[in-house]
Amino acid sequence: MTQTRRWQIPLAVVLAIYVAVVWFFMQRLPVEDGERDWFASLFPRSWMAWSFPTALFFSTIFLLLALMAVWEYARPGGHPRVGILRFETTRGDRLFVSLLGSAFIHLAWLGLVGPGLWWALALSVVYAIGVFRYV
Amino acid sequence: MEKTWNNRAWFMVLPVLLLVAFSAVIPLMTVVNYSVQDTFGGNQFFWAGTEWFEEILSSDRFWLAMGRNLAFSAIILAIEIPLGIFIALNMPRKGWGVPVCLVLMALPLLIPWNVVGTIWQVFGRIDIGLLGRTLYTLGIDYNYVNDPIDAWVTVIVMDVWHWTSLVVLLCYAGLVSIPEAYYQAAKIDGASRWAVFRYIQLPKMSRVLLIAILLRFMDSFMIYTEPFVVTGGGPGNSTTFLSIDLVKMAIGQFDLGPAAAMSIIYFLIILAMSWVFYTVMTNYDAEKK
Repeated sequence: MTQTRRWQIPLAVVLAIYVAVVWFFMQRLPVEDGERDWFASLFPRSWMAWSFPTALFFSTIFLLLALMAVWEYARPGGHPRVGILRFETTRGDRLFVSLLGSAFIHLAWLGLVGPGLWWALALSVVYAIGVFRYV
Repeated sequence: MEKTWNNRAWFMVLPVLLLVAFSAVIPLMTVVNYSVQDTFGGNQFFWAGTEWFEEILSSDRFWLAMGRNLAFSAIILAIEIPLGIFIALNMPRKGWGVPVCLVLMALPLLIPWNVVGTIWQVFGRIDIGLLGRTLYTLGIDYNYVNDPIDAWVTVIVMDVWHWTSLVVLLCYAGLVSIPEAYYQAAKIDGASRWAVFRYIQLPKMSRVLLIAILLRFMDSFMIYTEPFVVTGGGPGNSTTFLSIDLVKMAIGQFDLGPAAAMSIIYFLIILAMSWVFYTVMTNYDAEKK
């Protein structure tokens, strides 16, 4: 089914909320000598132990889910297709495979290479593009 | 018929989304937060980055527990699946024997896990346990408290006793759904007992067998209560599976950071396996249609 809706407004709303949330988290960070402590507790003595990197991580996961919802709103149906895995996948399946695979790429990098995860992140992006293109 | 698309229907899943958020998402977020920080109590946390993940991934303790867990799952699957099929094939299909067998098979499944552990802990004791005392009287050197092999045998036999019934009941459900005409046709063709099993019963049981393998694998991979009650993970660490090790680390040692990192790795493995099994099952259904 090919149906296109006006997706620009929901997309703008989602992105605006994401930016606002990240900005809110940044404002929570303590500033010492004019520099932000990026790894300090966002809510000191809170049992959930929020830190800026983990808050950013979960915000980005929720952003991805929201973007998938906007994509679904724009083009309903989930775009099912049979890729190289030889079974039908939808956009949601492809996002799940991308995220799960990325988690393992990061773990493998940590275990085999070391703590610098930027290359693992780059590899995960390439992997995710591959999944969305071919799976 | 043209399908109606109405994305507002997604709002109907909001209640369950809230439920999952409070029971799964918020605890998971907390574990992720703990996995990158260190704490000495009092809700004070200090950034540790990926240190705990590196520590877990390079620790022999984690990989040995993982190896034990995989070995345990492989052994119990290798025993329970063939045994379950064998018992299901030999169960009566009609008459008074059916309810009797079904009730007997269902009994172990109704017993709580910690009670199963307690039963086998007492059963295997060489001073007062029926099994342990009998083996001791027969001159067999059996002591699950001191001997790692005896501990493994006890834990495996206990799991087989507890869970083979599930495989039996699933296989039995698959077997009774086979129409009588299939057997009549096989009889006319002069098919052997093996041919009937290989070409009629096994294919008809394949779906329930897949479910049985999935359930038993996931369950055995997450096993905690029964071995913890019987052996407490010992002797030494010989029956310390991933979940037991995790609890020791988190609650026994209060190493919340490493325990959280280990939980996440454990969770990702379970998630990946669940996805593989789910995909195999849904595609199996699609192929059947």
